[in-house]
Amino acid sequence: MDEVVGLAPSGSLGSGYNLEAFRRGLEENPDFIGQDAGSTDMGPYYNGTASLFLPRATYKHDLSIMLRAARERKIPLIVGSVFTSGARKQLDEGVAVIKEIAAEAGLSFRMAVIDAELDKADLKRRASAHRGLESLGPEQALTDAAIDRAGPICAQMGVEPIIKALDQGAEVVIAGRACDDVLFAALPIMRGFDRGLALHMGKILECAGISAVPCDLAEPMVGRVRRDHFIVRPGNPEHRCTPISVAAHSLYERGDPCIQPGPGGINDLTDSRFEQEDARTVRVVGSRFIPDEVYKVKLEGAEFVGYRSIVMVGIRDAVMIRQLDSVLAEARQRALRRFPMWQEEACHLDYHVYGRDAVMRGLEPNPGFVPQEVGLLIEAVAGRQELANAIAMFVRGTMQHASYPGIITTAGNLAYPFSPFNVPVGPAYRFSVYHLLPLEDPCEIFPMEMVEVRN
Amino acid sequence: MSTRILDLAQVIRSKNAGPFELTFDIMFEDPAAYERVKKSGAINAALVARLYKISHNQVVVCRPYDPALAFKITIRRPVSSGDLGESDVYGCQQHVPLTMIEVPSA
Repeated sequence: MDEVVGLAPSGSLGSGYNLEAFRRGLEENPDFIGQDAGSTDMGPYYNGTASLFLPRATYKHDLSIMLRAARERKIPLIVGSVFTSGARKQLDEGVAVIKEIAAEAGLSFRMAVIDAELDKADLKRRASAHRGLESLGPEQALTDAAIDRAGPICAQMGVEPIIKALDQGAEVVIAGRACDDVLFAALPIMRGFDRGLALHMGKILECAGISAVPCDLAEPMVGRVRRDHFIVRPGNPEHRCTPISVAAHSLYERGDPCIQPGPGGINDLTDSRFEQEDARTVRVVGSRFIPDEVYKVKLEGAEFVGYRSIVMVGIRDAVMIRQLDSVLAEARQRALRRFPMWQEEACHLDYHVYGRDAVMRGLEPNPGFVPQEVGLLIEAVAGRQELANAIAMFVRGTMQHASYPGIITTAGNLAYPFSPFNVPVGPAYRFSVYHLLPLEDPCEIFPMEMVEVRN
Repeated sequence: MSTRILDLAQVIRSKNAGPFELTFDIMFEDPAAYERVKKSGAINAALVARLYKISHNQVVVCRPYDPALAFKITIRRPVSSGDLGESDVYGCQQHVPLTMIEVPSA
């Protein structure tokens, strides 16, 4: 059969996956195993600090099984966005984990390591040459100051750097930040299969079993790209894909179901059709890749906004709950007076009133609801951790003994679930870089190192 | 007589689409129910703006998607994911106003 077969073990590396279904997936003779290992979804902290979302040992556990399987079958293992936001520090951790597994299992292979973190001096030159770059979200253009304020800045690579690695004989590809779908599309595109179909299949496989029924990230999926269509099915024989479950995945985490922009162009799913091939398999046709005139990649980065400190309390008294907003406002006024450096040190105080409108805030359709009890999260952010702690504890202390009309609880207003009351959270970040960078060569900012791993 | 969207749709969900957008899917199992809602025109950008108390230009996408028997709606996030003032980093609990949609009878 003229096809390229990909196996996707897990929609979330480090969260575990169904090993029996993975074994069944291997029986379908895949040409490669692909695994996405990151996202911006967990928020800006991971971009700002280049830290790992899950414990290192959980990534090692999941990778160990797929690396051994890939080497046993002599097929490439392609892992991207290692680990979490795909910055150099996280990539180095990924390379170390792969080398550890190889040493423990006595494996030898050729490994390509592809870096996706930009050199800031180079990025400044590129950004100013393109008038600060087109923003996909942040208000600000990408100035030198914005680049300096951000933590590591990464670009989402397209298929080309991965194809280059495979072309040079890489048996394992460990990539920094990469667009999720390209991990699965690279080998089919390299072998001449249609780019639109390969990328669409990649988009479905990158979340593994989330496009099957029942929907489960920990269920492996198998995809086969052929000349004029692709098919997908779950490894688990009890699970199945349906045209609706697969089509629905085109919506998932994407702003528009039909026009899906990525490195170098858009994948146009307007004319995609989803058909039931057999009881568990769906066939997809009609997805079309439309290349951009100028190849662009998306940049991601986050800037430090201060240190966060929190206090979590409960309130049950009905008299206080009815007047909560005025009590909160009074505590804020006292904090502003108590900490005269408020403006200068960029202090921030926020209340999250759980039970009322903490989850939706301004979007809450029923903001006047008066609950029986509330969970109140007091959040302070300031330029120094000590100061953030002091603000959070001052506001707590003020509210603890606040007086208000009709008060009956003069011994204290707040219930604490534990001691100590204050939790210093550490540095806080915001996404500040989310811009498009034009490239002349899709590989020019993604240096690759080829490593011969020998055991 | 109108029908509540919850009696017609099986999935009403929200999630980030990147750190700066919030995206919603309203999905149907029954093609007839989907067609009925689509024909009614009940789901439109003006309604979304009203339900979320946001201006019309904050609604980026609002369209049906036939292959998945679904409506896709995307709005700008009030703040970028995880910024100061955040309440839902994944954006996965912001769907509730959509559950209040009423679909007029054909």
